[in-house]
Amino acid sequence: MTAHEPPRTVAAYLAALKNALKGAPAAVIRDALSDAEEYLRNEIAQNPDKTEAEILAAAIETYGTPEEIAEEYRTMEETLAGPFPKAEETTENRPTGFFGVIADPRAYGALVYMLLSLATGVFYFSWTVTGLSLTLGMLILIIGIPIALLFVGSVRVLALIEGRIVEGLLGVRMPRRLPPANAGEETVWARVKAALADVRTWSSMFYLVLMLPLGIAYFTIAVTMLSLSVGATGGAIYELATGTDVIRMDGVPWWDHVFDTAPGLIGLAIAGVLLLFVTLHVAKVVGWIHGRIAEILLVRI
Amino acid sequence: MAGLSSLVLLAVLARAGREMYGYEIAKALKAEGATGPLFKQGAIYPVLRSLDALGLLSSRVEVQAFGPPRRYYAITDEGRDALGDWTGAWKDMRNFVDEALQGGTPA
Repeated sequence: MTAHEPPRTVAAYLAALKNALKGAPAAVIRDALSDAEEYLRNEIAQNPDKTEAEILAAAIETYGTPEEIAEEYRTMEETLAGPFPKAEETTENRPTGFFGVIADPRAYGALVYMLLSLATGVFYFSWTVTGLSLTLGMLILIIGIPIALLFVGSVRVLALIEGRIVEGLLGVRMPRRLPPANAGEETVWARVKAALADVRTWSSMFYLVLMLPLGIAYFTIAVTMLSLSVGATGGAIYELATGTDVIRMDGVPWWDHVFDTAPGLIGLAIAGVLLLFVTLHVAKVVGWIHGRIAEILLVRI
Repeated sequence: MAGLSSLVLLAVLARAGREMYGYEIAKALKAEGATGPLFKQGAIYPVLRSLDALGLLSSRVEVQAFGPPRRYYAITDEGRDALGDWTGAWKDMRNFVDEALQGGTPA
């Protein structure tokens, strides 16, 4: 599609708008896209008798072309640029290098996510497995149908909530909404059918179940590394300060002896601090990997 | 244009006395006759966002079970004050423009 050919679908309109806003701050692009999508989807929902292409053609007249709209947002951003904080820092300013990670909010976000994932994982897993068993068991009865619908709905809402957590802590752009209903799908039944046919409903369910083992692993890694790091540094400093023998290596006399000497303890304290940096790096990597997993199972089809 | 849009949007929300989302506001304006090539409905969204950033409107996002989330806007006390000031300024301006136009028309 060329830039000047009028978009015929919502997706094409949003792509053209995004293209027209190239170079603008990420938050502005995000706002513009969500505003345009809100308008276009509502326009489609209000006119079930028209095709998407017809609605888009009309919307370009009433809402504005992607280029016009991009211009409006740019102007607005310039007007607001003064006393208001820039919405988002660019990634280029982020500290790099082994020690730079200490100032990287992404690493802490990921670490918090790892610690949180045990709780959310247990909940998601229990909810999904309970809901699934209840639904399958009840399906032969007439009451099974509303339960099944409620369950599918709850999975989509949970996936959405998890998406918000992932976006907040891991910084991966996740949907703020459930997959949109197609044009004309006004009735509840049509929406339910669409939800059941949607691969994302099922991949979300899989994700929720998968969160239990992943959550256990993330939590264990985070807690082990954090406690080792804090324990080593704290213990060594305490032993250095008070002389109480708290660092012990029973069964390894040589190491035990090293950790009774000042240089050994200082080395251990430094190792503990280094381990904290390693932990933050590990958290970043885990966060990145998990972001991809969430993206694939919760967003992409 | 943005200044006038701000005035109109504040007035619409003040009159509504409740929260409204973007599409709803666009339709309300259309119903009041705000159409035509000069007034693009898409232009109200960035104005709403800037009024929100300025504290004249407050907003919250409500996730929808189906369809995109809606950002609901409501006028703040500050917004009402600004609306009062701007309405006065607009009336003065309109009178001035009217007089200038009438004065300029050959009798």
